[in-house]
Amino acid sequence: MEALFQAMLGGLVLGLIYIAIAVGLTIIFGTLRLVNFAHGAFYAIGAYVGLVIAQRIGIGWAFIAAPIAVALFAILLDRLVLRSFYNKEATSQLLVTFGIALVVEESLRLIFGATTQQYTMPLALQGSFALGPVTYPAYRLLFAGGVIVMLALVWLFIEKTNYGLIVRAGVRDRVMVQLLGGNIRQASTIVFALGAAIAGLVGAAATPIYGIDPATGFAFLVPSFVVVVVGGLGSFWGAILGGLLIGQLQSLTNLAYAPASNVVIYLCMALVLLFRPQGLLGESEVIRQS
Amino acid sequence: MKQTLSRGRFVAGTAGAAALTFGGGPYVIAAPTKEITIGLDVPQSGPYAEQGQDQLRAYHLAIDEINAKGGIMGMKVKTSEGDDQTKPGVATENAQRMIERDGAVMITGGSSTGTAVAVSGLCQQKNVIFMATLTHGDETTNQACHKHTFRRYNDAYMSAQSLARTLVTKYGTGKWFHITADYAWGHSVYDNLTAVVEPKGAKTIKNVLTPFPGTKDFSPMLQQAQAAKPDVLVLTEFGADMVTCLNQAAQFGLTKSTKILVPLVDEYMAKGTKDNFDNVVSTAPFFWKYHAAKFPGAKKFVDAFQKRYGFPPSNGAETAYADIYIYKMAVEKSGSLDPAKVIAVLESTKFQFTKELEWYRKEDHQGVTSCLVVEGIPESQRGPGGFDYAKVLEDHPGEKVIAPLAGLVCKMEPA
Repeated sequence: MEALFQAMLGGLVLGLIYIAIAVGLTIIFGTLRLVNFAHGAFYAIGAYVGLVIAQRIGIGWAFIAAPIAVALFAILLDRLVLRSFYNKEATSQLLVTFGIALVVEESLRLIFGATTQQYTMPLALQGSFALGPVTYPAYRLLFAGGVIVMLALVWLFIEKTNYGLIVRAGVRDRVMVQLLGGNIRQASTIVFALGAAIAGLVGAAATPIYGIDPATGFAFLVPSFVVVVVGGLGSFWGAILGGLLIGQLQSLTNLAYAPASNVVIYLCMALVLLFRPQGLLGESEVIRQS
Repeated sequence: MKQTLSRGRFVAGTAGAAALTFGGGPYVIAAPTKEITIGLDVPQSGPYAEQGQDQLRAYHLAIDEINAKGGIMGMKVKTSEGDDQTKPGVATENAQRMIERDGAVMITGGSSTGTAVAVSGLCQQKNVIFMATLTHGDETTNQACHKHTFRRYNDAYMSAQSLARTLVTKYGTGKWFHITADYAWGHSVYDNLTAVVEPKGAKTIKNVLTPFPGTKDFSPMLQQAQAAKPDVLVLTEFGADMVTCLNQAAQFGLTKSTKILVPLVDEYMAKGTKDNFDNVVSTAPFFWKYHAAKFPGAKKFVDAFQKRYGFPPSNGAETAYADIYIYKMAVEKSGSLDPAKVIAVLESTKFQFTKELEWYRKEDHQGVTSCLVVEGIPESQRGPGGFDYAKVLEDHPGEKVIAPLAGLVCKMEPA
């Protein structure tokens, strides 16, 4: 029983980490119709910026510098490269973002080397919390709490701001928003930078737990894509539901038979694609448009 | 002998590409001659990248030293290099390219038993010598042994035997929980450790296998360990995986609540885990500080490495360095590049480079080499760079801890 409770708690935290990356992916897809394989690269850049800043200045500054640096990188990418791909078919988008991901990964390898690096979390957070019968690392709990706060802020942005209104309207009908005078271009750039900044922040914040090497971004991108596909491409709540589900599934499989824990999430994705191709909370219209 | 020598010199002196058949298989020497190529097939990315990179440093040091003194039998040594990414498929592709395109006469490398076994099979087919470096699973010189493969690094059986006494005195016979990398090496270590401690009364409560490579989050496995409240937690992970796993174990408070055992360690793993490695017992075939104080050959190697790179070598680097010199010795003693003749020398010659007198067992080509039991010390006592990571508890002679011939399943190809 205790083991089950622990596994579910672990699954919740793992799910929140996936959600944190997936939410950027999904709002970018929802708004820009862009299948962004470079999202893992944003995570990695954030982690390395965090690493450099944490080692030189301090861990607090790392969490500020990483999202800003990644957002700036994303704006450059958006203006210079991706702009001309937004109206192309998914295959072209996939190829160009995959290419960007490879360029970033290899550049990071050139600069930082291939080895795993880590920065230690503040001493105060190295301990663990007692939660009923189990103890859980304090940093992970704080991380999970941070993700929930961040998700609330993203939700407020989408639901309560004018930009959010344009974003939501754009998901329904891009052309109509432009005809009505909505500046969807500017809104798109902001959403893209926001999604990237979230990935960068998560990268910096997760590095004390997982360490960072140039391939880590990709290692997290793949399960996050699974989360988005299971939850429904472009759906904010879909990403959350998908993340919670995948986190639990992976953690409980680990308890039962650990070697299957990587396979089971793809199996889950295959089942969702077979029986509900638009994802659990996705709208079938979204799939047709893309 | 005399005839072989003249053939070797003939090859060395012949201009133009020459495809000659030595022994059983095709054997190509690329033009211009007076040069031989050695294939260095080690990971430069993936979880074992740090180990692979340090081996590469040692290979370059050995080869540059040898070339500065006239090469191997007058032939300059060139290298062909590839990043095996710790993946057997990539390692085999690299080796094939090194052999077929670059005409490599010997392949060396393998920071994982998975890649070593794969490359070993290919080299056997291609009639090329394979000097397996950092591979610790028994399989390399037992279940998957080959005539062309030699492994000097101690295997998991030797580690388990060396640890036997410490396991009982320090770790005791309580409840043991294993977290094990799910591939040939992990399985081999698990089998050997349990075979040593279970008869003495230790109880294995669970063995959780972790997907390899690519596990970033060990928390589900560590939580199971936490719930099981074991007396001993064995982390059979290597390289960056071990660093991640042990650091995450500390986050879960396991380094305080249970005794941690890591069956195999190197300098980079100890550095990456900092104080989490303090008081942890492990094994290693070589420790730069210990061996340099004991053997002039080791001192020469450690000093040269330190001078060139600014820090001391890891135990994987020592294996790589020695393997180049052992191959040179065998070629020069046989007076030939012919694999069959080189194998005959390697099977029958004792040598001493960086440790005590060593040799390969003819029956399985396992190196009879000593194995150290080490214990991690606090990071503050590890000196500049953190390379002085442990104290040596015991030094076991190879012949005392090596697997008995009677238990071997190795079926070596005929000469």
